[in-house]
Amino acid sequence: MSRTLYRLLVWMHPAIFRRQYGEEMLWIFEEASETQGARRLLADALSSLARQWLLRSGSWKIAVAMAGALIQVTIGGFGHLLFGPLSRGGPLAPQHAGEPIELQSLIRIIIWTVSGIGLTVILLATWLKKFSARRMRAVHL
Amino acid sequence: METDYSELLPLAPATLHILLSLAGEDRHGYGIMQEVARQSEGKYKLGPGTLYDNLQRLMDQGMVEEAKRRPAGEDPRRRYYRLTPVGRGLLVSEISRLEDVIHEAKLRLRLPETRRA
Repeated sequence: MSRTLYRLLVWMHPAIFRRQYGEEMLWIFEEASETQGARRLLADALSSLARQWLLRSGSWKIAVAMAGALIQVTIGGFGHLLFGPLSRGGPLAPQHAGEPIELQSLIRIIIWTVSGIGLTVILLATWLKKFSARRMRAVHL
Repeated sequence: METDYSELLPLAPATLHILLSLAGEDRHGYGIMQEVARQSEGKYKLGPGTLYDNLQRLMDQGMVEEAKRRPAGEDPRRRYYRLTPVGRGLLVSEISRLEDVIHEAKLRLRLPETRRA
């Protein structure tokens, strides 16, 4: 049972890692499950699975992209609420409800969204530059 | 010219133990796990997931490489790993850093010099 579960956990690792180390991990499980305990090895495989997908496989790039999108939406949304048609005095403020959105409001939405995108790009570029420099230094020692 | 490893220090415990286990001889994955357990007197046990995650990173960084030669009659699943000169240099730098830390700690805490049996 635990062997099947361990095999499943190894199989769920990213293909590049699984191809390189999967067989060895299974072999070690067979050798060490009695001395180290199957439960401990299963927990280790589970944490390895999370680490491989979240940190090593590049899925973090999707997480960063989602965070970037969230920043854009938040900045665009706040800007829109503060200065857009729903803000006090804006065309969709309670006293103006039902009136059409003015072109000026649309421009404000665009400006705030573009600001959000710009800020995200700057933050990501700065972070990626530092990250790449550190990684290159480490690799080319 | 001496290489500066300070960017990569301090090493994580798993990395330090893996490099140390390979300092004496080439080992396969399970051999590394056993050697780490022996060195730490059973207090630090690496799981295969943690081991291969670290090995993958160390191989990417050129600290460890796969050994071409393996003992005859070995299980083909057993791949042997060895420390590269760069990995050895990194390990030496970390040990030197740790010696400085221990020296400083003994001075501050006024501990006597101790030797392991």
